[in-house]
Amino acid sequence: MNDQFSLLVLGWIGIYAPVALGAMGAAIGCTIAGQAAIGAMMEVNSGYGRFVGLSALPSSMSIYGIVVMFILNRPVSPGNAGGLFGIGVLAGVAFLVAAIYQGLCCASAIAGSKSKPEIFGLALAPAAIVEGFAVFAFVFALVAAGGIPAT
Amino acid sequence: MTPRYTTLMASLPPLGGLFEARSPAISRLKLERRLTQLEDDDRRSLDLAISILSQSMRPQDPDGGPSDARLLEETRAFFSEVTNPLLRHLVSHRLDLRTVLAALRRRHRGEVDPPLGQPWGFGPWVATIERHWKEPTFRLEAVFPWIVETARLLEADDLINLERLHFSVIWKEIDRVALGHHFDFEAVMIYLARWSLVERWCSFDAQAATARFRQLVSAGLGTVTEIPAAS
Repeated sequence: MNDQFSLLVLGWIGIYAPVALGAMGAAIGCTIAGQAAIGAMMEVNSGYGRFVGLSALPSSMSIYGIVVMFILNRPVSPGNAGGLFGIGVLAGVAFLVAAIYQGLCCASAIAGSKSKPEIFGLALAPAAIVEGFAVFAFVFALVAAGGIPAT
Repeated sequence: MTPRYTTLMASLPPLGGLFEARSPAISRLKLERRLTQLEDDDRRSLDLAISILSQSMRPQDPDGGPSDARLLEETRAFFSEVTNPLLRHLVSHRLDLRTVLAALRRRHRGEVDPPLGQPWGFGPWVATIERHWKEPTFRLEAVFPWIVETARLLEADDLINLERLHFSVIWKEIDRVALGHHFDFEAVMIYLARWSLVERWCSFDAQAATARFRQLVSAGLGTVTEIPAAS
């Protein structure tokens, strides 16, 4: 009875983990990039909007988390709890880490482009590459979720 | 995992190269204002380090006592209080460099024996230098590759290039330790260390220009006074 209950708990954790961890990562990443945007605004006299826009980039991780949660959301049973837990938690951790490091990339891009505005586009490349890895985690979480039994 | 000083670091302008700027990218006043964002403990550690590293900028010892002895005392206090490894490394690197320069200068001005028992240097190389006082580079060329060139410039009394070499050695060491630090306390330290070098180098230029200007004015006035008074 206890084993079955534990399995069900793990299944529910797996369902909610992508959105929770993705939101945590997005919050941290946006904070880091947002702080850099504020710092850059103290130094320059124009171009504030693009700094603030760039600082919101890590928020996409919470959106990926929401989508994965909807895909995983189903009645939890001992037969599918393990799969839900594995995919949900690992996808969530991937979104969390990607959001934090993307925030750092955005902060560096903001700090670098404040004095050299011409590198703004190129400075976005590292953040875009990190986004690409998060998309891998997102897409293959959806693919793998297709193999989990419905009940 | 989250950096603490993202806002502060993003608000500081890039400094460029060491010998490129004619003036620092940010004024001392503006920098001081930005540094109010530092946490109290970090500010205290930085102040201790600055107090030691800016000794050579002080024209006179305010306490009236022997400057070297007080510097050593402050240095011991710094190392017993500050735990940040990078700040400790930056300070110890500068002190090693100063110790070697002090030894070379003492020998250059004719001291044939090491200053045993005097508080003249700090760090692990003091005993080695005293032991090998009569060797041209104190047998430290493997540890400090720049010592050969330093000794040569000192012997040639080429003080401008000696100072340039001294600054370059510090700048390269800062570059080496800066890797991976962008928005943390270490990044602030590294920025300040670089800024102080740029600021000092620029002020050296200004001082040289002022001295040259005074020399020219004196020469001009001298010429005028030589004109015989009209009778």
